[in-house]
Amino acid sequence: MIHSNTETVPGKRIVQFYGVVSGSTVRAKHIGRDLMAGLKNIIGGELKGYTELLQEARNDALERMTQQAESLGANAVVNVRFSTSSIAQGAAELFAYGTAVRVE
Amino acid sequence: MDSAIQSAIEIGFPLSLLVFAYVVGSTIERRHYRRIRVRERQWQRVPAVTFRSTPASWQVSESGLVTGSVVISVDYFKRFLAGLRQFIGGRVKSYESMLDRARREAVLRLKADAMERGYNAVVGVRLETSRMANGRRNGQGIAGLEVLAYGTGLLLRQPPA
Amino acid sequence: MSFDPALPDDSVNVSRTHPVREALVLVAGIAGIGAGLFVAIALAVDLLVPRVPPQLESWLFDGSWLSVADGSREGEAADPRSAVVDDLLMRLSAHWPDHPYAFRAVVLEEDEPNAMAFPGGVIVVTSGLLDRVESENELAFVLGHELGHYQHRDHLRGLGRGLAFGLVMTALGWGGGGTARLFTFAGLLAGRGFERDQEAAADAFGLGLVDAEYGHVAGAADFFRRLPDPNDGVTERIASYLATHPVSAERIQALSRTAEEQGWSALGPVIPLATE
Repeated sequence: MIHSNTETVPGKRIVQFYGVVSGSTVRAKHIGRDLMAGLKNIIGGELKGYTELLQEARNDALERMTQQAESLGANAVVNVRFSTSSIAQGAAELFAYGTAVRVE
Repeated sequence: MDSAIQSAIEIGFPLSLLVFAYVVGSTIERRHYRRIRVRERQWQRVPAVTFRSTPASWQVSESGLVTGSVVISVDYFKRFLAGLRQFIGGRVKSYESMLDRARREAVLRLKADAMERGYNAVVGVRLETSRMANGRRNGQGIAGLEVLAYGTGLLLRQPPA
Repeated sequence: MSFDPALPDDSVNVSRTHPVREALVLVAGIAGIGAGLFVAIALAVDLLVPRVPPQLESWLFDGSWLSVADGSREGEAADPRSAVVDDLLMRLSAHWPDHPYAFRAVVLEEDEPNAMAFPGGVIVVTSGLLDRVESENELAFVLGHELGHYQHRDHLRGLGRGLAFGLVMTALGWGGGGTARLFTFAGLLAGRGFERDQEAAADAFGLGLVDAEYGHVAGAADFFRRLPDPNDGVTERIASYLATHPVSAERIQALSRTAEEQGWSALGPVIPLATE
């Protein structure tokens, strides 16, 4: 499955398009990460725990989006966009969406 | 003996509220999904895509901005589950269906808006999600989630499908 | 390019786990963690409490605020029975040679029968209890039970556990919410187990003091054996006392068992309370 966040896949031609496909996950951090973040709020710096968590979640969302595209028979997703929204305190939603197409 | 009754009330009341919320909430959700699926099948032939460029073969006579939005709230049972998750961490599965419903509903309303205005395709679709905070609990809880879908509606000479 | 109007797989973004199952698993998990945390705290407190010197405890919990209830400090006429209670208390605590506190008995004017051990060595007995007690042996057991709490530093333990648990909750950053309540509830349930053990230990100690003073334990548990009769106002009050200090048939049986194990005779003269 080819992913691209441009309108077309560079070097290929789109022969068919299907529609919007999306993948989303909602992840919550556990109390342990919260404590570390609290400490980091005092000294500053990268919140590695959160970075990893969100990265995992983003990959999960991409994975789901790919699954949807595959179910349509597409072989590429173009115009991929990401969106992160805070759902509740401590829980964030990672959303990836794009258009499923068939390229040659 | 009083403390036993007290404990029973302490557990019993939230528990029955949870059961009630679960039963009613999941019924409402199932019904909504049914309506969503019906409309999705109905409007299959109206394409909604995220890319902006239109193929040369399409002859566009009109275009305009179209939008669709919805605010969906989550039932008490799901909120309770999410609260538990915020302690242990991991995937908050109870909110997934809420978001899924909200997104698909928003896109359907987008298509409905486009068709109302006479368009037969939508390009450049973008989705925005924002949380409506519950004012009571210092903005911690959610009153609801808003999903906005917007794009450009096109009137094509030949319907695309 | 052509348009294929197929619909994608819509189950991708929703998990298959049944929500009720997930709820049960999560609730059990969190309750387990809460109970486990409480047990860990309780054990830690149990280790630390014996190291707190009684002098520090007496200093921290100076019982002078109780003088409001005890008129003898200001020279007012106190309940005349407080001298009797005090005397009994002195006799009982004499059988505990190393007792580290200066014990004092205070009679509180209140209809509800109750007896409380306060940190620092002050034992409060309500006038309601004195009204309902029928023999000196009974009162001796009640006082002995309270002395047992001192011997095991029970109020310190309770305080320590409460403080530690509260600290942990604050550190984790919760004020309230369903999860926090569940967590606390699990902890409290776990705490009941520890409290029951404490009560049983205080019972055994009190019974021992009664045997040391009178040479037997007859009549000691009579107060608790009196069955509450709903039509009788007096025993109704005893019932309310029993509600705060749960006395079940098990507890009375445990007392008999302890007496047997320790070789304390259950036969002997029961002395009426000197105030009558």
